[in-house]
Amino acid sequence: MGTESGAIERLAGGSAAPRQERRLVREAQQGSATAMASLYSAHWRSAYRAAYLVIHDPAAAEDVAQDAFLAAVDALDRFDRRRPFGPWLHRIVVNRALDWARREALRRRVAREESVFEPLPPPQEIGGEMIAALKELPAEQRAVVVLRHLFEYTPGEIAEMLELPRGTVNSRLRRGLDRLREAAKTELGTEVGR
Amino acid sequence: MRNDPLGEALREVSLPVPAEAESRGLAVVEAAYAEGRKARRVAERRPALPRLAVALALAALLAALLLSPAGAAVRDWVGEVVDSEAPRPEPGLAEIPGGGRLLVESAAGPWVVQPDGSRRLLGTYEEASWSPRGLFVAVAADRTLSAVEPDGTPHWSLTAAARVRNPRWSPSGYRIAYRSGPALRVVAGDGTGDHSINPKTAPVAPAWSPFGTPELAYVNAEGQLRIAVSEKSASRSGAPPDEAGAVAGPDVRQIEWGAGGRLILEVAHRELHLQTMHLSKLEGRSEFGRRTRLEVPDGATVVDAALSPGGRVAAALTFWRHSGTHSSVVVFGPQGRKPRRLLSVPGSLGEVAWSPDGRRLLVAWPGADQWLFLPVGRGEGRAVADISTVFAPGHRAASFPRVEGWCCPR
Repeated sequence: MGTESGAIERLAGGSAAPRQERRLVREAQQGSATAMASLYSAHWRSAYRAAYLVIHDPAAAEDVAQDAFLAAVDALDRFDRRRPFGPWLHRIVVNRALDWARREALRRRVAREESVFEPLPPPQEIGGEMIAALKELPAEQRAVVVLRHLFEYTPGEIAEMLELPRGTVNSRLRRGLDRLREAAKTELGTEVGR
Repeated sequence: MRNDPLGEALREVSLPVPAEAESRGLAVVEAAYAEGRKARRVAERRPALPRLAVALALAALLAALLLSPAGAAVRDWVGEVVDSEAPRPEPGLAEIPGGGRLLVESAAGPWVVQPDGSRRLLGTYEEASWSPRGLFVAVAADRTLSAVEPDGTPHWSLTAAARVRNPRWSPSGYRIAYRSGPALRVVAGDGTGDHSINPKTAPVAPAWSPFGTPELAYVNAEGQLRIAVSEKSASRSGAPPDEAGAVAGPDVRQIEWGAGGRLILEVAHRELHLQTMHLSKLEGRSEFGRRTRLEVPDGATVVDAALSPGGRVAAALTFWRHSGTHSSVVVFGPQGRKPRRLLSVPGSLGEVAWSPDGRRLLVAWPGADQWLFLPVGRGEGRAVADISTVFAPGHRAASFPRVEGWCCPR
């Protein structure tokens, strides 16, 4: 198992060549396998990272990312290419990651088993403590934190993506950040974003 | 967001990645993409095929109806034939015609489908049933009964002694009936007060009284339709609660208690019955009245049936063999009168569900990999194609999903 770091695409904010992305989507819709592969390569890392940060299981995160791309392929003909591809994919990824986390939570509760999450990498680097603290949050709070701070979606956009009231998004975000604040102070000597 | 240390940490921290995960996923996605393009090219080359095939099949079917003894039985049976051609299929599920939300059981588990066609997998459950207003879903998996929200959020679970089947939420929302092995049990909507109603019942889903009372219709081990009072307090000293009469219903495999409270629809292999019910105001419970057999032609099999939301009109799917296999969608008027055939198709149909407003039927057509949305009155029907892949994206040999319920709009 390797590691993946940095190089996260900033497509959520539309800053990474939206024109080029629209062209790729159009060509993929018209049957270009090369364009489809380019879209995959441009977005796989961010999809995997989001899935992992919600469910903290490498194998499951791989499955979720792959499943999200398959869903995107399935619905590609109906995709409105005037809209950015990234948020559409992120919505699928985070919702599927939440599905997985809920299934796992239910299965563990029923089976009375211990956590099946694989251990995180040791927190000897910047972000390690933060990620460990993130793992301790409920999956619903993790998803909101990831969408807000990894992809920089607004609470209103997150509410739409997760089909939640905006107030619920805000409260989950606030509770999650409260619990992350201690980890942030310890590691970075500063406060986490609000 | 500038100066966001949390965002930086989330973006920069090294994560464990399974070896070759990205390339492995790319191979799968490329294969699915190529397969999808191939299927589209085939569909584009044969745009008229479904229409032509259905027209030819209907012509053959009509000949069979008019010329054969079995066909004559069907012809005599159906008073007013308003057969129409199967609608031209639309690719993919872009919306639910008529609105509302669907609960769909696939090999992967139950899905909630929103009016815009977006869908969410609830989990790896084997069965699912809407709560009366669609705020919750009762789900079963092996020996576990759970209540979850339509977004998958779990609320509670209980573990039964045997495999849980046929969960049914009462119209009041206060109770859930389910079968655990052969036993019929009831639990409160918050997961408390689980208790037995009858230790030995037939493998038929129970049906709640539509009045919101704790009355529950079920089929006992002898194949008889019975009404039980499900209140725990009604069961003294652990004895089964009192039962309000019984009537024979051989071979019954499905029952529905109509919303008006006056009819129970009994579905058997080759028979349909409407059981009239009377509410005894003094006793505060329902009693059996007259039982009417609905006309089904000799030799035809009843595949599925459902009462309309108003509880007076029944829709049934029938199947028969003559020069091939054929199926019909038939709607019976009040008291089972005036059967009217909406559609006949080659092959077999799956199940039928009424829209919440009672204006449409959703008919599953596994052989054509389609859902048919048929207006009961005037209007154009619609068909949605590729249903199996909608609920199993990326799977080549996906099984056809089952419609568990069409619920109220949110």
